[in-house]
Amino acid sequence: MNEEFKLSPSPWKRRFLILLTLTVVIPGFIGLLLLKRFGEDTPVDYASPTEHFKYGSTGGEHEMGFPYWIWKALPEVCPQYLPGKGYQSLGMVYEKKPDGSDRDLPVGTSQRRFQGIDRVFVNCAVCHVSTVRTAADKPASIVLGMPAATFNMKGFEEFFFRCAADPKFSKEYILPEIERLGANLDLLDRYLVYPIAIAIMRDRVLALAGRFDWVFKQHEWGPGRVDTFNSAKVIFNFPMSHLDPKEFDAPADFPSIWRQRQRKEPKEMQLHWDGNNTTVEERNKSAAFGTGTTPPTIDIARIKRVEAWIMDAVPPAFADFFPVDRQLAAQGAPIYQKYCAACHGASGSDFSGEYVGTVEPLARIGTDRRRLDSYTYTLAVNQATLYSGYPWRFTHFQKTHGYANMPLDGLWLRAPYLHNGSVPSLRDLLESAAKRPKAFYRGNDVYDPIKVGFVSNVTEAGGKKFFRLDTTVPGNGNGGHEGKAYGTELSSAEKSALVEFLKTF
Amino acid sequence: MTTSCSCKTWLKYAALGLATVAVIGAMIGYDRGFRQYPQPDWVTATPEMRFKYGSIGAENDAGVPYWIFYVLPRIFPEKLTQDGLVTPGGYASLGVSWEQGQELPIGFTKKTIGFPRVANNCAVCHTTSYRESIDSNPVFVVGGPAHTTNVEGFFRYLIDCAKDPRFNADILMAEIDRVTHLDWIDRLLYRFLIIPITKKRLLEREAQFAWVYRKDFPDWGRGRDDAMNLTKYFMIKAPMDDTFGPTDMPSVWNLKKYVWDKGHRMNYAGDSNDPYSVIMDSALGVLGAPPANKADFLGQVKWLHDYLSALPAPKYPFAINAAKAAAGLPLFDAHCASCHASAKTGTPLPLAAVGTDRGRLDSWNKGAAIKANQVVKDMGLERKGLVEEDLIGYIAPFLDGIWLRGPYLHNGSVPTLRDLLEPAAKRPKVFWRGYDLYDQKKLGFVSDSPEARRVGTRLDTASKGGGNQGHEFGTALSTPEKEALVEYLKTL
Repeated sequence: MNEEFKLSPSPWKRRFLILLTLTVVIPGFIGLLLLKRFGEDTPVDYASPTEHFKYGSTGGEHEMGFPYWIWKALPEVCPQYLPGKGYQSLGMVYEKKPDGSDRDLPVGTSQRRFQGIDRVFVNCAVCHVSTVRTAADKPASIVLGMPAATFNMKGFEEFFFRCAADPKFSKEYILPEIERLGANLDLLDRYLVYPIAIAIMRDRVLALAGRFDWVFKQHEWGPGRVDTFNSAKVIFNFPMSHLDPKEFDAPADFPSIWRQRQRKEPKEMQLHWDGNNTTVEERNKSAAFGTGTTPPTIDIARIKRVEAWIMDAVPPAFADFFPVDRQLAAQGAPIYQKYCAACHGASGSDFSGEYVGTVEPLARIGTDRRRLDSYTYTLAVNQATLYSGYPWRFTHFQKTHGYANMPLDGLWLRAPYLHNGSVPSLRDLLESAAKRPKAFYRGNDVYDPIKVGFVSNVTEAGGKKFFRLDTTVPGNGNGGHEGKAYGTELSSAEKSALVEFLKTF
Repeated sequence: MTTSCSCKTWLKYAALGLATVAVIGAMIGYDRGFRQYPQPDWVTATPEMRFKYGSIGAENDAGVPYWIFYVLPRIFPEKLTQDGLVTPGGYASLGVSWEQGQELPIGFTKKTIGFPRVANNCAVCHTTSYRESIDSNPVFVVGGPAHTTNVEGFFRYLIDCAKDPRFNADILMAEIDRVTHLDWIDRLLYRFLIIPITKKRLLEREAQFAWVYRKDFPDWGRGRDDAMNLTKYFMIKAPMDDTFGPTDMPSVWNLKKYVWDKGHRMNYAGDSNDPYSVIMDSALGVLGAPPANKADFLGQVKWLHDYLSALPAPKYPFAINAAKAAAGLPLFDAHCASCHASAKTGTPLPLAAVGTDRGRLDSWNKGAAIKANQVVKDMGLERKGLVEEDLIGYIAPFLDGIWLRGPYLHNGSVPTLRDLLEPAAKRPKVFWRGYDLYDQKKLGFVSDSPEARRVGTRLDTASKGGGNQGHEFGTALSTPEKEALVEYLKTL
């Protein structure tokens, strides 16, 4: 054969080279270009652990990510489905740039370039960051790790489902909006990638809308709350309309996520409001489903960075924002020791106590039972199939029959109180249920240092309407955690001292 | 010369290359298609775990590929129904005994034969659960009758899924991709072989299972199966007849009590000679085919025989009023012992003497027994086998662990022991089976509360095979006497 080639006249060689170029080199080159453009899987990373917490990826963009420009354009395309202007109106927190303008994306969103398109989706911080102000005219401080007390998750979900179902969710409306925002898309993006992305996103959101149909039928969660475990049933595509009605209307406050190490060591506490899991890492991966992750697409390495940070993150001190009457607090300390410490720990940083992190039977604690009933044995056993085939398959979910006794680190930032956030302030919690506010407003980030909780008697401020929480609505009951043992029969002076002491947590 | 020579060399290399590819392909094919991997150590760590999760070899023929099994409830949730209503909860909605933290329910086995597969073992029908209060989690008892498990629902579900046009590689693979990462070889195998073959195999079951779709028969509901018809239609491929003999799953603890020489026979109508035969026949039913590995199969049967012979019946876990129970003892001796604690116990009684529903008796016959014994013999398996005689009625059962064997009578037509002490006319005509909250007063499971109605399946005692008549013994006792007798029954 070699001999033959040597003897061959050159036209064959040339023809061969032309053929090779046409069939291999050019397609190969184009293939490489396309691979580079569409094969990428690169999240935006941040060196600092706190920046990573705020803006780092959990991997949720793979499956659920919104194309960046669609995310930007939607509030303009579907303003009628938002309570006000932009994602801010849903209570999402935007940091300020040095020039005083808002950052491009809110805290709790991450970015990743995947399959040739920049994508945006939420991360842990969307539910675990909020703001606090010492007065209505003071600037907001952003607090990492506190419950997202202003974030309206139900409104957020409903916005996307409504907008996707709107006739305006099409390239004819979205693309001009994207151009108006200054996107400067190149030809491929303008005529191929984004039109397809819009169609795919519409299909996917609408396909999911069926699974989330139940959300629309729930009483309003309002800001700072989510129906965690009915949402978890969606992972399994449980036919939600056939659930026992008593499982629904189970909103619960977002929790704070500081000091996780102490919830893991020396003994593993029962985590979640009903204490249904004892493993921090499993609980974290479970929560990560809420950021759009799936077992094959979760970004374990980046989740681990968040896990490492929340292990020892600590809440800001009340005293950094308001004065604490140390003398009065000292009077409250023995009251706390007597009434609260066994269940809630020795202090805001020392979680020792006989019943801390264990479940209190519902009959004893007496708080609203809907959150408890939303978590079923059936769900628990199904959760044991999650992450099947991976070394970290879920093995610790269990049905309980009460609510867990929580440590109280950063307690002042965890208002409103009780698992369903049905009591606005600590001072109100020390009243018997009959004397607690029957309705109040949630979502204000102005703090009330006297009662210890957010201002809850203002209906609107700065053009923003707050959410009226009616404690007679199913799931909002403010009963329980009352009686002599719970301090509701203390004298007024004792209650004041106790509240003052709790400011040191 | 040179050309042909180099061609030859070239051909040789090509052949060698092809052979290498073929060998590697065959090795991969064997590894991903057929190679057996033992189950992990925790499965066999204790006899109880082995009974609950250990493979008895059913994965070879009856096994469903794991990832297909996994995603079906997510793709076809609306096909999980009970009494015509959709029941949310994945496989849990079928009432299977499922321990928290376990990847599969009790009685479901996972084994890798080339690829992970899910099949069943004895525990699926012979592990039960009860709960002390509405605010407590279930307690699982191995060897007990699986009164909550909807076996027919499970059979139908897999077939119904396979019949759906959406049971195809595109849709299944899309869902599998959401839950795990398969490498490209597994992806190809799933897409082009495993999914189509599974669909075909499940559809073949439809013909075999034709009678479970009969509209003129009631559903088995939770905790019952039509056992002898299963044997008839599967093992001996008998043509479908109109018999229907639903029965409760039996308890299988303490099997050493059956002594053949004393005339003890097994199964509700004394259809089988001894525990060994029953275990072997039932295991063959779970395998759905002759055993792939006979030696292993015989080893499994022997292990089960040893384990279940020695497995004690569970003690009543709640309070017993000792004085009241003592008062019940003479009543038991007078009204129950002659059948349930005597030489008659474990032997068949003429149907007319007891008068319970005859559906189960009529669903089996001598001819079927002879044929079935032949089928098993042809597999080269030795056992005493099924009784090749005309059957006269039902066995007078031993009452060990009777507290956990509700509902009562062979067809589970009476919810509690206390109800059984009423004349048939006064027993509940309709109740709900398969709710596991225990009723300590009446001995049995709560069968007519709002929860029981939601969780359980409705049993109408006027339905075919579901008659609650007969066994009208002790029904004339006074109320305090009945209560004392029930108290005594807690001690058995």
